[in-house]
Amino acid sequence: MRKILTLLSLSLSLHAGEPLLTFENQPMGTIDRPLVLRSYLPDPGLEDAVFPQHDTARKVSKYNPGPGSDVPGEILPVPGLTAAIGVNFGPALSFVFDTTEARLMYAWQGGFVDMTPYWGDVQKGSRVSFDYVPRLVGTMFFKASGKDPVELGGKSISELGPRVFTGYKLEKGMPVFAFTAGETRFTLTLTPSNKPLSCDVVLTSSSDAPLAWRGVEGATGKGKLSFTLSGTELAKFQGYQRDNKITKASVSAGEKLFGQYGCSACHSIDGSKSHGPSVGGLAGHKVEIEGLDQPVLADTAYLLESIKSPNAKVVKGYPPNYMPPFGLPDVEYDSLILYIQSLDKPE
Amino acid sequence: MTSLFFKLGVLGVLAVQPLQAVKFDDCYKVEDIKLPAGVPPEVGAIDFAEDGTLFIVLRRGDVLRAKPTADPAAFDWQLFATGFDNGCGLDVVSPTKIRVTQMAEMTEAEDTDGDGKADSFTRFAHGWGLSGNYHETNALTRDGKGGYFIAVGTASFSGPTFKHTLGTFSDAGRRGRNYSAVKWKGWVLHSDAQGKVTPWASGFRMHNGIYQDPQGELWAGDNQGDWKATTPLYHVEKGKFYGHPNSLVWDPAFTKSKDPLAYYRADLDAYNKDRTWAAVEMPHMEINRSAGEPMEIPAGSHFAGQMILPDNNGERVTRLMLEKVGDTWQGACTHFIDGRGLRSGNHRARFTKDGKQLYLGQTVRGWGIPAEGLQRVTFLGPVPFDIDRVTITPDGFKVSFTQEIPDKLKDAKVWDISSFTYQSKWTYGSDPEDKKEHQASIAASDANSVTLKFDGLAKHRVYRISIPKQDSPDGSPLQNNLAFYTVNAVPEK
Repeated sequence: MRKILTLLSLSLSLHAGEPLLTFENQPMGTIDRPLVLRSYLPDPGLEDAVFPQHDTARKVSKYNPGPGSDVPGEILPVPGLTAAIGVNFGPALSFVFDTTEARLMYAWQGGFVDMTPYWGDVQKGSRVSFDYVPRLVGTMFFKASGKDPVELGGKSISELGPRVFTGYKLEKGMPVFAFTAGETRFTLTLTPSNKPLSCDVVLTSSSDAPLAWRGVEGATGKGKLSFTLSGTELAKFQGYQRDNKITKASVSAGEKLFGQYGCSACHSIDGSKSHGPSVGGLAGHKVEIEGLDQPVLADTAYLLESIKSPNAKVVKGYPPNYMPPFGLPDVEYDSLILYIQSLDKPE
Repeated sequence: MTSLFFKLGVLGVLAVQPLQAVKFDDCYKVEDIKLPAGVPPEVGAIDFAEDGTLFIVLRRGDVLRAKPTADPAAFDWQLFATGFDNGCGLDVVSPTKIRVTQMAEMTEAEDTDGDGKADSFTRFAHGWGLSGNYHETNALTRDGKGGYFIAVGTASFSGPTFKHTLGTFSDAGRRGRNYSAVKWKGWVLHSDAQGKVTPWASGFRMHNGIYQDPQGELWAGDNQGDWKATTPLYHVEKGKFYGHPNSLVWDPAFTKSKDPLAYYRADLDAYNKDRTWAAVEMPHMEINRSAGEPMEIPAGSHFAGQMILPDNNGERVTRLMLEKVGDTWQGACTHFIDGRGLRSGNHRARFTKDGKQLYLGQTVRGWGIPAEGLQRVTFLGPVPFDIDRVTITPDGFKVSFTQEIPDKLKDAKVWDISSFTYQSKWTYGSDPEDKKEHQASIAASDANSVTLKFDGLAKHRVYRISIPKQDSPDGSPLQNNLAFYTVNAVPEK
């Protein structure tokens, strides 16, 4: 009995005071204890002008590591923020501070982020291939545009020299972001406001020059500014929707699922080796299996078994216990199989 | 007189009866360390504070700490900090200060007000890019002078880049399978004690684990894949190129081509000349599928001075027996522990201060079936019957065992020696080539060892050394009957 009590108090002491990140894919903080989440974060249509300290990625040709050459097709860069920090106070406020630009990128209310495409689920952990950027939840009321809205001596700090993020402090749990522009040090703190579609902002500067936040009336002063940043409903977000209303099995549905379940992280479609065997040129061909003398034909039954119970027949040269078993609706199994069968002759 | 007779009598009994056979369970205990309920146990990195407190970084962002207890289920975990992006490198500077390599930077987190939780997060080191690809995690090791070596992993073609990248984007670096679209992907960087970062060595694919040993030698593993025939261990030296071409787009000294991938794709002879070969090549299926963090076995335990290497893709940990021939590092590998309750996903390793326990951090989420958590291996004291060491001679190998060997192992016929080569290239891993069988003879033997002599010992070949599973004379089962020795240099006669 005593042991049970001790264990109980141990787990309570941790969870009462210290909420930990769990398998919950929509983590949230509270007004008293905001959650600071550093991760790849969404780019909700930010204009290029807010990325002067980033470089711009370009498309690349698809590549087949088998022959070691480019193949038809290209991969395009996707929207996303690489080095930003998300902060959430529960439904009252969320915002994203970008550490590369050292500025507030956007702010919203009514939710935070849905990490499902990035963190995956408890059992399979599958990241969604090529589409893993988390999704926003809630109503966006502020979105950065143009030069940095922080002005010193009547000029945007974008013109003072490089803006460099130096870190943040938690003051009574509230993150206070610190950065420099030229020689001047700044801090930025955002907290929930009583007004809708708003947040309270505190901005400090190490300089005596007039300090202002462009576009907010009255947001001027010296050394320290406190003001309310209000906006309008710019966009609403509902998190990650898997959008698989598949009523009939098809090759195209299978192709989509192949990315969503993260299959392509381990199985190439071009016949080349990877963590797992290629599904290119697989269907209708013989496969060597660990522990079996005779190769097995990769027919529909084999493909279905390999998705449902990957350990049942392990392809020679590959480890067991690596692929999770996938329990899916029949229409999804059928779609995946049709897709794999469409790749019987790889490009 | 009676007493002396009694002692002699006991010794006499011991001499005629076999000693207690030593089995695996007498030597090691593998335990699961329980983490708080409901927490995704994706252990990115682990480290001990001087006072013995264990810190672990979880990949979603939390850092937990606890004083280890004898009961693996009774660790009193406390949250120390949160807000790290996929932290896979950790240095506990003091019980109140840690440094973490996360995706975009290395961050120092400190508890400045003594409430047990970090409240100050400052950028310690930065300067590498981040493309938005999921694969670009980083690891660290201390340099012994207050700074660090940082292993900066490449991106995978199983994911995209973002439109706006942290750092300069390179089209040539972006090409191919694993890629280096932004700076220092595929490099080892050095950070001095002030956080100033300089490039150190190139040519890595996914060196998920880097380690400076107590003698000051720097080691990194890598993952089988493109330009990595199998799982290698590298001895890392400044300015050298370790074989994955894309990282060279960031090397101003590489002037042979603007597209290093295409250049070496077309000329493997030049590639073999320009790269530094692995100290040890670990066959992918038999030994190690994906190298984690190397770690030297500390003094006081058997195998002290040898290295363990976690397998991130197998329920096993490799044991490395390294030696230097002239200026060249090379050596043998076998299992340290294969199975026995180990999970897969092994990638971080720390010994406790007394050297008696090895903690293993595990994660593979996102690459395969989740295999995650924290385990520890306790060295119980007895020494298993095992291959102790394989050392090279001018015309063969000396294989030493931890205990007296049965006579059968002194018969050349039971020794199965073969060799092969590996050609790292653009394909995802390479099969062994140019296989040869070698007829060995016994050049010498003593109670614990056999010296094998055979024709065909040559550099850039991997030798497979296999014997039947034989118990020792006292009935102890042999733990490993298979080892692979990578020859980079043959000693002169």
